Amino acid sequence: MSTIIVGIGNRVLSDDAVGIKVAHALADALRSRSDVVTCELWGGGLRLMETLNGHERAIIIDAIMTEGGKPGSVYTLKPSDLRQSRNTYSTHDGGFQEALELGAMLGLNLPPQITIWAIEADDVETYSENLTPEVERAVPVVVEGVMRQIDLEQQPGLSGGEQK
Amino acid sequence: MKRVTINPITRLEGHGKIDIFLDEKGNVANTYFQVPELRGFEQFCVGRPAEDMPVITSRICGVCPEAHHIAATKALDQLFGVEPPPAAKKIRELFYMAFFVTDHTTHFYALGGPDFIVGPDAPPAERNLLGVVKKVGLDVGKQVIACRARNHHVIEMLGGRGIHPVAGVPGGWSRPVSAAERAEIETIAAQNVAFALFTLKVFDQIVLGNPAYLDLILSDVYHHRTYSMGTVDEQNRLNFYDGKIRIVDPEGREFVKYEAADYAQHIAERVEPWTYLKFPYLKKIGWKGFVDGVESGVYTATPLSRLNASDRLATPLAQEQFERFYQTLGSKIVQGRHQPVHQRLATHWARLIELLYAAERMQELAHDPEITSPDIRQIPQGVAGEGVGSVEAPRGTLIHHYVSDEKAILTKVNLVVGTTNNHAAISMSIRKAAEKFIHGFEVVEEGFLNRVEMAFRLYDPCLSCATHTLPGEMPLIVNIKSYDGESLQSLRRDG
Repeated sequence: MSTIIVGIGNRVLSDDAVGIKVAHALADALRSRSDVVTCELWGGGLRLMETLNGHERAIIIDAIMTEGGKPGSVYTLKPSDLRQSRNTYSTHDGGFQEALELGAMLGLNLPPQITIWAIEADDVETYSENLTPEVERAVPVVVEGVMRQIDLEQQPGLSGGEQK
Repeated sequence: MKRVTINPITRLEGHGKIDIFLDEKGNVANTYFQVPELRGFEQFCVGRPAEDMPVITSRICGVCPEAHHIAATKALDQLFGVEPPPAAKKIRELFYMAFFVTDHTTHFYALGGPDFIVGPDAPPAERNLLGVVKKVGLDVGKQVIACRARNHHVIEMLGGRGIHPVAGVPGGWSRPVSAAERAEIETIAAQNVAFALFTLKVFDQIVLGNPAYLDLILSDVYHHRTYSMGTVDEQNRLNFYDGKIRIVDPEGREFVKYEAADYAQHIAERVEPWTYLKFPYLKKIGWKGFVDGVESGVYTATPLSRLNASDRLATPLAQEQFERFYQTLGSKIVQGRHQPVHQRLATHWARLIELLYAAERMQELAHDPEITSPDIRQIPQGVAGEGVGSVEAPRGTLIHHYVSDEKAILTKVNLVVGTTNNHAAISMSIRKAAEKFIHGFEVVEEGFLNRVEMAFRLYDPCLSCATHTLPGEMPLIVNIKSYDGESLQSLRRDG
């Protein structure tokens, strides 16, 4: 199964970088897998949709801020849950949901399976290359979770998507 | 006094909020727009090696990393005292034109387009890219995606990476263009020209062909007689990559033309107590408040102001459109040049003419035999210690200014980003739209909100040039409050 892993965020805005850091760790861990591609994006609806085009499975990793959320908490979501995600909506190229609908309308080859791993951020407004401690601790948790998801879903008869 | 709050503005970068204060009679007393701006980027850069800037500044924002990359690279040319070889300048400009084509295309179809193509009074749920595609057809939607894809490919090929380019270096560009790449880019540029012409035709049919839209463009709601800024070449023709910054007055007379490095002599920044945003104005005229006219230092830096500041365009098809633009909008020729157009909604049209220019310029550069020259780098021999780099970014003139010590470690960084130039004008447009549509406590209609937003969106602002983030889908909330804070009415729509 051709898989694309996308880390989304801004590398110099503290916890906003968490998706990118996870994606980089996964790129190292999955170097031998020719069926997995990893990349980094700043966000966006159209651009994200276009990036997923042509793959069978997509795993998106992004920072999230929920009301009362505890920094470092990890959630797995589907695109339809995306109202709260930080980077999947860009006013300069539309929302991800809207973009996915457009992609379907235009007959693009979008992955039937899209999982979003979202990590609750603490600070996304300070220019810094460092994550806050709770969010930093979530990085290996998500890396391990995504690895497990990839392996589990390889085995016939098992369905993934909700593992944490 | 009552207060109307529109929060946040849909489809704009950053979190925006518009406050409208009503007087005792229920008419508009004042309007403010506010954004929580991310600050501290300049300080984040101080102490770093100057040569890191093209890569770091491209991360300020995901919307126009290419503009920051090129402005930073040009600032480094000066900071290291090197002149790039001609081929390097041409590759930079070629790369930059591919970016302009994707950015202006995306703006028209996904962001500004919904206002006109779907219509200012259409339900909000339809005023988006899907609504545009339903109106213009699936085939056009496919063409938009194809246009983005082929130009992203060029950006990646020339810039070394798909997002956050890395090829710009002080004194040049780090990779040459092969003959095969040149041929491919030439084909892509030709497709871009065809697509830009097609897009102008769409604008013609849907917008100019509709008397109601044409009236809206020509109405005085969005009319401000300000100064216009743009970068021009030695023949006063628009150039996005390089040239002098030219400012013309509201009548179209040249007010000043200067090197980007002298920007601080010409532009000052006004600070207001109610917002972190700064309001740049023309130093020699002075700040007279949020007013237009020749006596006010307010200026704009937009696609419209760039056409106003240019005597003509350097490519043939865009020049034809330029002529048609000024004729259609009733501009007379005075002392050999068109009088400026001040109807701000015409900015959408001006943006499409720029799209055509960028496509044609890309074609010219791809056709230039020198573009494949391997002579693309002048190695720096020392550190001059200060550099200013400027480009026309899609949203206005962008300036990067760096000062370093003798080892090229940064000691001072100042950025004037495109949108900042337009803060005063944006405030004025919102106020005018509000004054037109609010009288005597009249109930706020959705069409009114759309029109306030239209005033805003035509500038295509990136409000913080730093945050690309929004809390999921954006609700639109309108609170009408009495002066003591009591909420009288609350309207809400989602998405």
